[in-house]
Amino acid sequence: MNETVLTLTNATIRFGGLVAVNNVSFSLQKGDLFGLIGPNGAGKTTCFNLITGVYRPTSGVIDFKGQNIGGLPPAKIATLGICRTFQNIRLFPALSVLENVVVGAFLRHTTSLASALCYLPPSIKETRALRQEAFELLEVMDLSDVASVRSADLPYGKQRRLEIARAMATQPELILLDEPAAGMNQKEKEDLQSTVRRIRDDFGKTVLLIEHDMRFVMGLCERIFVLDHGEEIAQGPPEAIRNDPKVIEAYLGEAV
Amino acid sequence: MKFWGVRLLSFVLAFGFVYGLDVVTQTAFPNLYRLAVLAGLYVTLAVSLNLINGITGQFSIGHAAFYMIGAYAAGFVSQHMYASQPLGPVLWLVVMMAVGAVFAAIAGIVVGLPSLRLRGDYLAIVTLGFGEIMRIVVQNVDPLGGAYGLNVKPFGEPPKILWLVWLLAVLCIAVCRNLLKTSHGLPFIAVREDEVASAAMGVKTSSVKVTAFVIGSAFAGAAGALLAHSETFISPDTFKMDVSFIILTMVVLGGTGSITGSIMAAVALFAIPEWLRTMQVMIPGSSIVAGILAVGIMVSGFRWVQNNYHESVSKRIGAYLACVVGAAVAAVVLSFVLAFIPQLAQQRLDVAMLRMVIFSMVLIILMLLRPQGVFAHHEFSWDWLSKVLRARKGVTA
Amino acid sequence: MNLVAGLDFSILPQQLANGLLLGAIYALIALGYTMVYGVLRLINFAHGEVFMLGSYAALFTSWALGFTPEALKNGAEKPSSWMVLALMLVVSMVVCGLIGVVIERLAYRPMRNQPRIASLITAIGVSLFLQYAGGLFLPQSPPPAISEQVNPYRKDSDNVRLTLKDAPAALKAQAKLLDAEAGKAEAAYRASEQQDPPGHTTAATEDLRQKYQTLERSAQKVEGEVNGQSVKLNIPFGQLIMLITTIVLMLILRHIVMYTRTGRAMRAVSHDFDSASLMGIDVNNVVTVTFLIGSALAGAGAMMYATFLRTNLTPFLGVTPGVKAFVAAVLGGIGNIPGAALGGILMGVVETLVIWLGFSGYKDAVAFVVLIAVLLFRPGGLLGSSKVEKV
Ligand SMILES: Nc1ncnc2c1ncn2[C@@H]1O[C@H](COP(=O)(O)OP(=O)(O)O)[C@@H](O)[C@H]1O
Ligand SMILES: [Mg+2]
Repeated sequence: MNETVLTLTNATIRFGGLVAVNNVSFSLQKGDLFGLIGPNGAGKTTCFNLITGVYRPTSGVIDFKGQNIGGLPPAKIATLGICRTFQNIRLFPALSVLENVVVGAFLRHTTSLASALCYLPPSIKETRALRQEAFELLEVMDLSDVASVRSADLPYGKQRRLEIARAMATQPELILLDEPAAGMNQKEKEDLQSTVRRIRDDFGKTVLLIEHDMRFVMGLCERIFVLDHGEEIAQGPPEAIRNDPKVIEAYLGEAV
Repeated sequence: MKFWGVRLLSFVLAFGFVYGLDVVTQTAFPNLYRLAVLAGLYVTLAVSLNLINGITGQFSIGHAAFYMIGAYAAGFVSQHMYASQPLGPVLWLVVMMAVGAVFAAIAGIVVGLPSLRLRGDYLAIVTLGFGEIMRIVVQNVDPLGGAYGLNVKPFGEPPKILWLVWLLAVLCIAVCRNLLKTSHGLPFIAVREDEVASAAMGVKTSSVKVTAFVIGSAFAGAAGALLAHSETFISPDTFKMDVSFIILTMVVLGGTGSITGSIMAAVALFAIPEWLRTMQVMIPGSSIVAGILAVGIMVSGFRWVQNNYHESVSKRIGAYLACVVGAAVAAVVLSFVLAFIPQLAQQRLDVAMLRMVIFSMVLIILMLLRPQGVFAHHEFSWDWLSKVLRARKGVTA
Repeated sequence: MNLVAGLDFSILPQQLANGLLLGAIYALIALGYTMVYGVLRLINFAHGEVFMLGSYAALFTSWALGFTPEALKNGAEKPSSWMVLALMLVVSMVVCGLIGVVIERLAYRPMRNQPRIASLITAIGVSLFLQYAGGLFLPQSPPPAISEQVNPYRKDSDNVRLTLKDAPAALKAQAKLLDAEAGKAEAAYRASEQQDPPGHTTAATEDLRQKYQTLERSAQKVEGEVNGQSVKLNIPFGQLIMLITTIVLMLILRHIVMYTRTGRAMRAVSHDFDSASLMGIDVNNVVTVTFLIGSALAGAGAMMYATFLRTNLTPFLGVTPGVKAFVAAVLGGIGNIPGAALGGILMGVVETLVIWLGFSGYKDAVAFVVLIAVLLFRPGGLLGSSKVEKV
């Protein structure tokens, strides 16, 4: 059952003189709930950008199910089955909540553009089906009541959930969540924890998540990778991480 | 069944509309027919640019280039080949539309490619530059008539040109509307809203952008083909930068992304200058300066009310009216005062010359007062209208 | 091969010099584009029109100083001095500076928090407005031009001449000799012609005429060879003043930007508009100064363009130089001040080279070809850096 989904081997990226990610290696098994933590500016988001093709790694291999995806265009990587959320929320503001999710689902459309431009019945049916599917996802994410609201008008917490819903709509195998709980209150965070668990348990996704809130990560993830200044400082189950002196030093002053 | 019923009804309505337009403009004075033709071309141009600019968010400001390429391609082919082929004029015009569309679409690909690397202002400048390059090239190519222009008169009066022009406009509107009505339209809007996020969702942003350019430029090219045949003469000056700016203005004033807005703005902005052109009054320069200043005063007043005067609706309407009255008074007073400056008072100006001044003022004022465009992102639909009306009532109640 | 064969390399240096002078004007205008783009990220489409108004300001100043077409009718002479030029320059700069500030205040400032496209459209609107309002009120038919006589240094003898490469001495001597002989032959022929009875040419005169013409022809041929083998520069003194003024203005600008408080504030705003305003920099003030300086430079360019390049003025005068200067700004890296200067000069040189190559019909298209090439292959321009968007 232990099937490797994603492996980073010595992934490195430089921006001019700054090595934002330096020789990072880790590996995710199918169904993992994997946490990526580290102080601000450690290079976590940059890792996501490497995995999703926003940046091309300077060196190293990013292997997704046996294929090196390092440097492939983002859209291609999304088609292969990796989708993400953004730390600084990047929804499509003018679109409604439902439409945002349909964009995610659009990857799976079958009718041609020509048929849509002629407004032929297959395209109309497909549109209806995609919207229906999107609506069901919104129900899972507890957003169905705001389906027709412009996404820019949503409160912050709901925008973060919508990011997840949109990513889920692409039906990825691996989903990357970048600080999904940022800016949420305690109650919202707890809800989010159970949602993320459902994503893994009920939908069978592999989850890689970045989070700042230690309690949130420790309570959720089964394995954790700690980055500091672009380099690995620890990797392992939550208990080991909690007691690792290097981690404590990196987070000096912050409660672990 | 309902689906096909609605389809049939829209076809009937579209044909009915064009038929009505044809009858009305032919029976009224002859110039109106030509104006209706040009207005239809501008609707096509505005709606097609809206697809590129408004819906897909690719900031293209060189639309006249595609218009020109369509016009010259069709004009050249028509001039050389009409005599040696069996088609009648109407069918031939349809074929020429296709020719114009194909050539313009190829140009659309060429312009679309930079959009893969460039964004925003930079893309805008490239599209503008492309337009100018094409125009200068045409100016220097003798078989195309060079700077003098090209006669396109393969047959006598082009028949049914108004029909073709407006059916093209309807087709263009229908295509854009269908795109937005189906899920296929969403990637286009997504690219406009956030390119990085759309790519992360698997949207092939490059092909979306190029597709938008190809469809948009093909329609402009078809419009150009009709222009060449209806005007029977085209020259590089017909397609100067100003034309691109006018089309762009139509899109932006209507509200970027709104098809309805583009149509309305195209007709309105086309009508204003043409209407001004027909006016034959001479006005002293002093009154014109006074008028411009008064409009400036009015706009500042409007802006002040917009930003600082948050009272009830009726009070605000009163404030707006006060601005209008104040501006009118200012206009009278100023034109009286300025008449004492002999250079201004003695200079009599043709209103027709004023048209571009008024045009540009409309542009600036609308941007100042409603930068999102008249329709913003909205489309006209009965639902939308009733919602707006209800909202208005809600406010007043 | 054919192409190269048809080119006249002896005039190339002169063409390059002309390009440099033209480029200096483009550079002055480009600075305005780049400075405004630097602080506001706005393509100030109306900048070309500010330039146009500057040339009219210079024209009106020259009229006010008595250089009107009426006064100079029928070859009347009017003495001028460097002070006339200086006054025209100052008036043009002041007028343009003020116009720039007013445009910013009325049209651009209210748009500052709106989407970029809205401000760009406004800029296009202002540009069209100035063109056509100018068309209503400014004198244009027949297109007026600043009288040549305002330039006190316009005599041929004032030109700066440089001989870069001389023809071989033997050839020159031969040319001189032939010239002298042709002169003598002509004199003999004229003398013989004088002695002929009126209306009748004797055979002797005809003979002398033939001889003279043959000599004259070979003299011309050798003269042409001499010219072909020597490379000379001939720069009107006025244009030299223009170049020096441009350089001085650029140095002043550099001083302002690098070493004054305002300049520091400008750089800060250009680096990060929002942070700068949070740090207590009076952003409005900086924007005003930017428009003032940028437009004044365009005014200086306009005065020199209209005076020394002897252009006819129309309300649409600013469009082409405006566009080219904008291209120059992008070429150098928009927002980058030395880049604008470099880009302007390159644009001027490229333009004259295209004319030299025999494609003068395409000289206005070249700007855009260069622009597109730069944007596609080095989007940040020559001196600019292109930033990757952070995600
Ligand atoms: N496109 C880029 N260009 C230059 N530096 C970058 C870029 N993207 C990220 N960085 C730098 O890389 C480092 C890591 O950033 P990031 O991955 O966002 O950190 P975090 O761990 O907080 O998500 C930071 O110092 C950031 O400034
Ligand atoms: Mg981060």
